[in-house]
Amino acid sequence: MSDISTLPRDGLVAVVKRDCPTCVLAAPVLAELAAQGGIVVYTQDDPTFPEDIADRIDDTGLDVSHRLGIEIVPTLIRFQDGQDIGRTYGWDRAEWERISGFQGIGAGLPAFRPGCGAKNVEPGVIERLKVRFGETGLESRRVEIGDGEDEFEAMFERGWSDGLPVVPPTEERVLRMLAGTTRDPQEVLGLCPPNLIPATVEKIAINAVMAGCKPEYLPVVLAAVECVLDPAFAMHGVLATTMFVGPVVIVNGPIRRQIGMNGKGNALGQGNRANATIGRALQLVIRNIGGGKPQEVDRATLGSPGKYTYCFAEDEEGSCWEPLSTDFGIARGVSAVTVFAGFGLQGVVDQKSRTPESLTRSMAGSLRGIHNPKLAPACDAVLVVCPEHERTFRNAGWSKRQVYDELYRLCEMPADPLIAGADGIAEGVKPALAGGTVNKFRPDGLMIVRAGGGAGMFSGIIAGWSTPGPTGSLPVCREVKS
Amino acid sequence: MGVATTEFIDAAAVQSKYLGTDPAYVFVPHPVQDRTDTELRQMADDHLDKILALLVKQAR
Amino acid sequence: MTVLLDPTSERSPAARERLVRPDRLEGLTVGLLDISKPRGDVFLNRIDELLTERGITVKRYMKPTVAKPAPLPLAQQIGTEVNLMIEGLAD
Repeated sequence: MSDISTLPRDGLVAVVKRDCPTCVLAAPVLAELAAQGGIVVYTQDDPTFPEDIADRIDDTGLDVSHRLGIEIVPTLIRFQDGQDIGRTYGWDRAEWERISGFQGIGAGLPAFRPGCGAKNVEPGVIERLKVRFGETGLESRRVEIGDGEDEFEAMFERGWSDGLPVVPPTEERVLRMLAGTTRDPQEVLGLCPPNLIPATVEKIAINAVMAGCKPEYLPVVLAAVECVLDPAFAMHGVLATTMFVGPVVIVNGPIRRQIGMNGKGNALGQGNRANATIGRALQLVIRNIGGGKPQEVDRATLGSPGKYTYCFAEDEEGSCWEPLSTDFGIARGVSAVTVFAGFGLQGVVDQKSRTPESLTRSMAGSLRGIHNPKLAPACDAVLVVCPEHERTFRNAGWSKRQVYDELYRLCEMPADPLIAGADGIAEGVKPALAGGTVNKFRPDGLMIVRAGGGAGMFSGIIAGWSTPGPTGSLPVCREVKS
Repeated sequence: MGVATTEFIDAAAVQSKYLGTDPAYVFVPHPVQDRTDTELRQMADDHLDKILALLVKQAR
Repeated sequence: MTVLLDPTSERSPAARERLVRPDRLEGLTVGLLDISKPRGDVFLNRIDELLTERGITVKRYMKPTVAKPAPLPLAQQIGTEVNLMIEGLAD
């Protein structure tokens, strides 16, 4: 193994690997230079290569390659007074002649051959080297796990988990995660409730590692965090409420397919890594960065299984409608995340309706039952329309706006049967509303998306928090940035 | 919290680091086995306040 | 040794923290675990007397052997019956 003390103050240095055909091609030239005036050759993979160089140095540990910042092999460098005063990559006779100062080398070789990628910059290797040399730039506190501790148990003990095992956030894993974004690790996305802690890209990446995300999911996680940190979303209230709610993440645009999200069969269920871990990462951010934990600031009476993770993609390809993100002014084809404070899933079972009129009546009946049939307005909601229900609207030529308008109209109800005490039920709307009408939703309080498997006339309603709109939590949509 | 003799101060520190715990220990003079009942009871009297202090929230 | 990056706000110590301690002992139950070292019982009997004098409820437990950790059923029993625990006496 080598270290930088083996570098000459003056003279030529080359870095090569046997696995590179250009290095093999240039090996005789290295032997010529060794014979002419001397050269120090570092080999990245096979310590016996190049055979004709007697004092080649084993750099399979890649320390020297890393310190020299090698990206391509072969690399030829001229040192003078300990300084790198010129280098060239690949085999390029003219350049090699210039750097080495010897003319006519490599006779019989082609004039030029491009080099190969260096081993020290391969994914997985570069992160290990940065950790070894203390060059990660990561600012988070290092937590040493005792030799007698099981690292998974140690993370539970420290309260970092949502109840399920989390992936240990080692420096290497976090560096690889951060490669999923071009954003500065120290960029602050906002203050994370409930403790109003600055949420840096680095801290979010740590939690994304723990949730099981791949690096390519990170931009979606970051966008989701931006959504919940928007004051309009009122994350503190969403966390602290005794109601069931947590952030529901809906993803639109090309990123869905690039990272393999599920918007088809079982879209809201288990089994898809991207869906599962993106939603989980968001919850871990609230827990670990913000400090929001159940039975502490999270005062939920029952909570919801969706508070482990609640994330899915809209099935845009199969839909006759514009994606949800376009309702928020984001152009179709642009990746975006919408976050909604929602809970559970209430099924809308209708296997007989063949007209949009019948189907909207069916759906409106289920919508009117949200929270309590006697409460209006109750909350915002997301209606997840399954493909077989969407087909009914498509065949009739109904736009999403038409569906919305009809559902909204059907959710306008006479107030009298809903008044507190009516029908022998103490719950209900204010007596002052007697004689008028009330709507189950505030205007624009109902969002419509399409998702689900091809078979089954089963749509879903994701009900929201009982404090809808500007005084409570508003759904927030943000573009996914690379 | 635990009570151990002063012989265990180093052991407790090493084990705590190994297990990643923050130990709560009161150490009493070593040894114990050859003490009279009166001596042991006196030892309990002398260390009670320290023991109780580790059971409740520390004044900051 | 494994080194992990802290996912939290770093407002609390890096080491595993002790459980949150109560403000006062009145009304709580304190367990005394005899680890079965010779003469430890004399010390613990006196602690028992002193705690009881202060109006603290005391429950007594004993490990079957000093040589091994407490068996799981004993640990679980203690966990459901007491608020706090004193163990001794290691020499």
